[in-house]
Amino acid sequence: MIDKNAVKEQIATFLKQPVSRLQDDTSLTSLVVESFILVEMIIDLQDAFGLRLVQEDMKDVKTVGDLTQLFVSRAGAAS
Amino acid sequence: MLDENELWVLSFYRSSEISGSLFFGRLARSMKPGAIQRDMTKHFSDEAAHAWYWTSCIEELGAKPIKLSSSYQDQYLTAAGPPSNLMEILGITQVFEKRVVNQYGRHSQLPEINPIVQNTLTKIMADEKWHIEWIHDALKLMEPEYGKDLIDKTLKRFWEADQEVYRKTMQEHEQRLKYLVK
Repeated sequence: MIDKNAVKEQIATFLKQPVSRLQDDTSLTSLVVESFILVEMIIDLQDAFGLRLVQEDMKDVKTVGDLTQLFVSRAGAAS
Repeated sequence: MLDENELWVLSFYRSSEISGSLFFGRLARSMKPGAIQRDMTKHFSDEAAHAWYWTSCIEELGAKPIKLSSSYQDQYLTAAGPPSNLMEILGITQVFEKRVVNQYGRHSQLPEINPIVQNTLTKIMADEKWHIEWIHDALKLMEPEYGKDLIDKTLKRFWEADQEVYRKTMQEHEQRLKYLVK
């Protein structure tokens, strides 16, 4: 099982940003200007939590909250 | 000497090679050891060399590269959506590389092409063909993990995005690219 905070901490480590900057409603595009870096971050998160996503999963992910929720629910489904 | 349109096109090529290099460089750094890590590192170094070839080509022709804000790859990500796993990254890259080889091939066949541009295209196209090969092989190796159907569906989706991006690029830069489609 993983929780939202663990996902946020991983994002913060990847982006070298304080976790406090990662509010649920923070948009991903405000954190990551280049889409290439967003791609790398998503791969990093999957490696960190041993999950596999496909593009379809990311369709409605716009904010930090959406992303953490996606990982938490996928980890729950996998366990 | 380069005219304004040709300088823009060569600068566009340079900018796309830089974007490809930066992307693969970042990925190669975080990739697990193995064949894909090795080939991706080579791919990254090729793209960086290509950016240098274009820079050098433009300078040899007495011009300076134009600074362009967005690359062809950025438009791909907008049209197709960002890839979310390695298979999707390789899929979109495969489609992109085929487009590049096609574009460079057409450019190299222009009847009055400058020999410096021709040499640059020839050098780069040899590498680009290897890029298509290694990605093709890597996608084959991923079939047991992702399933052939999913890989085929992913490639099809990216092909459709490619058509869209190419059409839009040709439309948006019609004047600049006109001499390439004679």
